Amino acid sequence: MPSSSLNARVQLCQLPAGATGRVCQLTGDESFCQRVREMGFGEAALVTKISGTTTSLCLVKGTRIALNHRAAMNILVEPIPAVRAGRTE
Amino acid sequence: MVGNPNSGKTTLFNALTGLRQKVGNYPGVTVEKKIGTTWSQHGKPIQVIDLPGAYSLAARSPDEAVLRDVLFGRREDTPQPDRIICVVDAANLERNLYLVHQILDLGRPVIIALNMMDMAAAAGMKVDAAELEGELGVPVIPCEAVHGKGLVGLRLAMSRVDLPLARHSWDVPAPVAPAVAELQAALTDHDGRPPLVARAEALLLLTDLDSVRVAGSRPLSHRTHEILAHWRQRWVTTGADWSATLIRSRHDAIGALCRGVVTRTREQGPSRSDRIDAVLCHSVWGWAVFGVIMAALFFSIFSLAEGPMDFIGRQVAALADWVQGAMAPGDLRLLLTKGVIGGVGTVVVFLPQILILFFFVGLLESTGYMARAAFIMDRPMSKVGLNGRSFIPLLGSYACAIPGIMATRTIENARDRLVTILVAPLMSCSARLPVYLLMIATLLPGDTVPAARKAGIMLLMYVLGTAGAFGFAWLFKRTLFKGAPPHMIMELPPYQPPRPWEILRHMAERAWLFLKNAGTIILAISIVLWFLTTYPKLPDPTATPTEQIAHSFAGQAGHALEPVIRPLGFDWRIGIGLITSFAAREVFVSSMGVIFGVETPEDNTTPLRDALRSAHWPGGAPLFTPLVCLTLMVYYVFAMQCMSTVAVVKRETNSWRWPLFQIFYMTGTAWLVCFILYQAGRALGY
Ligand SMILES: Nc1nc2c(ncn2[C@@H]2O[C@H](COP(=O)(O)OP(=O)(O)O)[C@@H](O)[C@H]2O)c(=O)[nH]1
Repeated sequence: MPSSSLNARVQLCQLPAGATGRVCQLTGDESFCQRVREMGFGEAALVTKISGTTTSLCLVKGTRIALNHRAAMNILVEPIPAVRAGRTE
Repeated sequence: MVGNPNSGKTTLFNALTGLRQKVGNYPGVTVEKKIGTTWSQHGKPIQVIDLPGAYSLAARSPDEAVLRDVLFGRREDTPQPDRIICVVDAANLERNLYLVHQILDLGRPVIIALNMMDMAAAAGMKVDAAELEGELGVPVIPCEAVHGKGLVGLRLAMSRVDLPLARHSWDVPAPVAPAVAELQAALTDHDGRPPLVARAEALLLLTDLDSVRVAGSRPLSHRTHEILAHWRQRWVTTGADWSATLIRSRHDAIGALCRGVVTRTREQGPSRSDRIDAVLCHSVWGWAVFGVIMAALFFSIFSLAEGPMDFIGRQVAALADWVQGAMAPGDLRLLLTKGVIGGVGTVVVFLPQILILFFFVGLLESTGYMARAAFIMDRPMSKVGLNGRSFIPLLGSYACAIPGIMATRTIENARDRLVTILVAPLMSCSARLPVYLLMIATLLPGDTVPAARKAGIMLLMYVLGTAGAFGFAWLFKRTLFKGAPPHMIMELPPYQPPRPWEILRHMAERAWLFLKNAGTIILAISIVLWFLTTYPKLPDPTATPTEQIAHSFAGQAGHALEPVIRPLGFDWRIGIGLITSFAAREVFVSSMGVIFGVETPEDNTTPLRDALRSAHWPGGAPLFTPLVCLTLMVYYVFAMQCMSTVAVVKRETNSWRWPLFQIFYMTGTAWLVCFILYQAGRALGY
């Protein structure tokens, strides 16, 4: 999945508001990863950051999800260039 | 009935069952159990269970464990359901189908209620129910729970005797398949699970690495454990993450399914909810709006409730008077007027505040703002280890801990909920006000004292209580409830216009729960307390109330209590007050009135204040020194002086353990703090 190394990976909390990224890695404990994946936040999912740096507000597969700093730090995303990011798939 | 949180499950359940519902608890856990009855197409009753919402069968919280256990047929109190209605949010189909997908593995009859069709359409999606039905092979009924649409179709499907089983085609990823097969066999042979449940459990064991948590009340056999350990060992050495593989392959299957079912009729721009969120979750405006809403809540609880509370108070008094007039004098009359009406009356006056708090809670929940409020408050609250949802229950506890504790039901995390319940009574409730007012009046008599000083002391008490609540929350999160995950991931549902009917229903439900409590356990305790203050009677019928109460069991208990409270500067008369005010804190004031032989009119504490100021110890030293007044106030800040709260905590936590712990820790703290305060004050010469 994380094929291009053109874009550096950033933590979800560092993704600027309005930007879209593709989840490329989940860090943190197993049970966190499992929960995040089950909520559709797994690897390869597209995330659009709506706002926030400490507590993040994101759009994943059409659902608004709020994450606290700890959670957002454990999700690494690869920013997608601002050309109208494609749909979920 | 199962589904993700916010899929509209409760709304659909209410629409199906109307008022024929029973709300209780699952034995042994603090999870709410809702059972209702609906009618089949042929008029036969069907029992519907509203199971807790969850995103996955890999349970994390007690709620989710209940869901899994019921579906796996593990709970003795709830038989495995004949049919499973999966409520699915059509606007979030992909994520919602994850749970459905897991449930289909169980091979039981499933009906899918494709809810929120209106929201999906509004978001520019066309969801093809027939296509989904064709793909999965189970009935799929499009619904709009809030508009009552789809109920007929749903009933029709529920009435079918020959529900088709899912034509479910999901291939377990090849590398994991042998492990699933072997575990399934072991679970059937050694743990006595039915084959399909065994398969689902095997999949969970491979998804969730905590096998003890998955097995729950049915621990795994030694053999199964070995097999599991063996496979895990293999994966660790090959460096593969099978949990991720399993979840991903499910998502891939669901993604493929959705491509055929969902068509987007137009490109999705920022929705209305996004535009509202841009303001309400803004780092400045968000706080401003939040502050205004909370101020409105606080203001309404205190000022709008005042009129109705007075009214109820007067009605209670009128009722007592009427009984007084209608009955012959005697013990029965006393029991009714003082014990029953007086006791329950002191608690029922809080009904308006409860209704107002739950009006706000209902309003915020049904518009979708509640999740945002939790989002905004999460950061400050997480400093003491609580989550954002604890804020409103704690705020409500300034009015009265009972609605506050009842409002903790919106906290999904069981530990956070319990901690919130444990500390909520430390927030200074309005029943403490009369005690504070009397003590401040005694402490600072006369009209020349600037009001600011009195208000300052009052404020100090509120600050003390609040600091106590947060301090103990911090402590409990570090000791009793250690290790809760510090991650918060929360779905923010789309904004909706408020639905008055839903809010009314919510208010009625809570008010009824409260009244039921008042009518049972609070009534019983009131009668006991009344008995203790009335018996044994003095033989002399001309005895004054003051002599009578001194002679009663409560009076004797006051004497017995004196050695314990003497280090705090309290004598046996204050001891009686402490005992009687267990009914409700403000009873302290009327008890003091009785003990010191002063008729206390509601709004004028001057005679009582003067009586208290002239009270003395047997040796002649004044009893209510400024230090004692202060100590007594601090005592009321911390002590668990409220039987109604005890009763509600018992109800909400489903055990006596927590209310008893709460009495112990709060009253213990009160004693300790007062001891230090009083002794230090004495040492400093006050
Ligand atoms: N527009 C719309 N809103 C709905 C529908 N069903 C439920 N809701 C709303 O969605 C919110 C969450 O519903 P609720 O029943 O509490 O969800 P639960 O968490 O699954 O029990 C409530 O505000 C409902 O009014 C529907 O079909 N259409």
